[in-house]
Amino acid sequence: MKQSLREMHDVELAAQAAAGGRREYGELVRRHGSAVRGLLRRMGAAPSLADDVAQDAFLQGFQRCAEFRGQGTFAGWIKKIAARLYLKRVAREARYVEEVETDDAQISVDTAGLMDLDEALKTLNETERVCVTLCHGAGMAHPEIAAAMNLPLGTVKSHVKRGLDKLRARLSPAQTSGGRSTYVG
Amino acid sequence: MSVDEYDPMIERLFAKTTPLPDEALFAAELAVRMEKRSRWRTLALTAAGVVGGGVAVREVVQFNFKSGAHQASSLSDSVRAVAATAQGATQSGLDGLGIGSFDLMSGSGMMAFWIVAGALFALLAAGAVKLSQDV
Repeated sequence: MKQSLREMHDVELAAQAAAGGRREYGELVRRHGSAVRGLLRRMGAAPSLADDVAQDAFLQGFQRCAEFRGQGTFAGWIKKIAARLYLKRVAREARYVEEVETDDAQISVDTAGLMDLDEALKTLNETERVCVTLCHGAGMAHPEIAAAMNLPLGTVKSHVKRGLDKLRARLSPAQTSGGRSTYVG
Repeated sequence: MSVDEYDPMIERLFAKTTPLPDEALFAAELAVRMEKRSRWRTLALTAAGVVGGGVAVREVVQFNFKSGAHQASSLSDSVRAVAATAQGATQSGLDGLGIGSFDLMSGSGMMAFWIVAGALFALLAAGAVKLSQDV
């Protein structure tokens, strides 16, 4: 009996998409479209640009589906493609210069406790936001981010660290009192 | 990611995805784009293949036919007849496309043929690369 698309694993769908299966790829788009668009929005893309880049990423993903062999998740793979495409677009506008902290966001502690990640990301400057999102949202390693953003590795590490510190401060007010917070995983 | 960067809370928050309300619209638009690109790709590659193949066949047949005329003993009459028929058919096809008057053999002979074949191949390759990058 033929398995329904909804029951199929991403890897199976990707394998069939690599053989030209558009319906299977459509299912992957349905499953991960929002995640990719969300990632791009978190990176700072306006909704229309995020959708445009996400579509380009999925189109490219369809062409390159054979490259996905189930090492890691399909979501992670397509997110990386989308993130790189977005960075290329942004690089064309030369927005990521090695910037000195331009808007050291005033972190006002949210007394209600946890707040929305998207709101918290707005307190980061643009480069920090992109670096943190690439690292934690797209699962890219620091050297990959450095290469994609054309920034020195050390700079990327600093941006990620500063961005994370701000996020932690913003998301967990109780832990901000003693300077840098530590977490036990 | 270094140890002090790992934060389960932040990881969890990033992993959370809120389905967007226009999810279906996004998927439908993408399907349309995929369909359109696929059609263009097929059309472009087919057209390039037909034109390139037509020119190449014509040149090969013409070359064989001409060289055959100088070396009558090397070709049997039937093969020559087939070659002539094929040449005639190709020629009429190319005439129909408006490119039948090219005579690549008149200049520097095979050199011209290989230049044209090389150019066509390069064009095809460039087209294929461009299309695959676009899609």
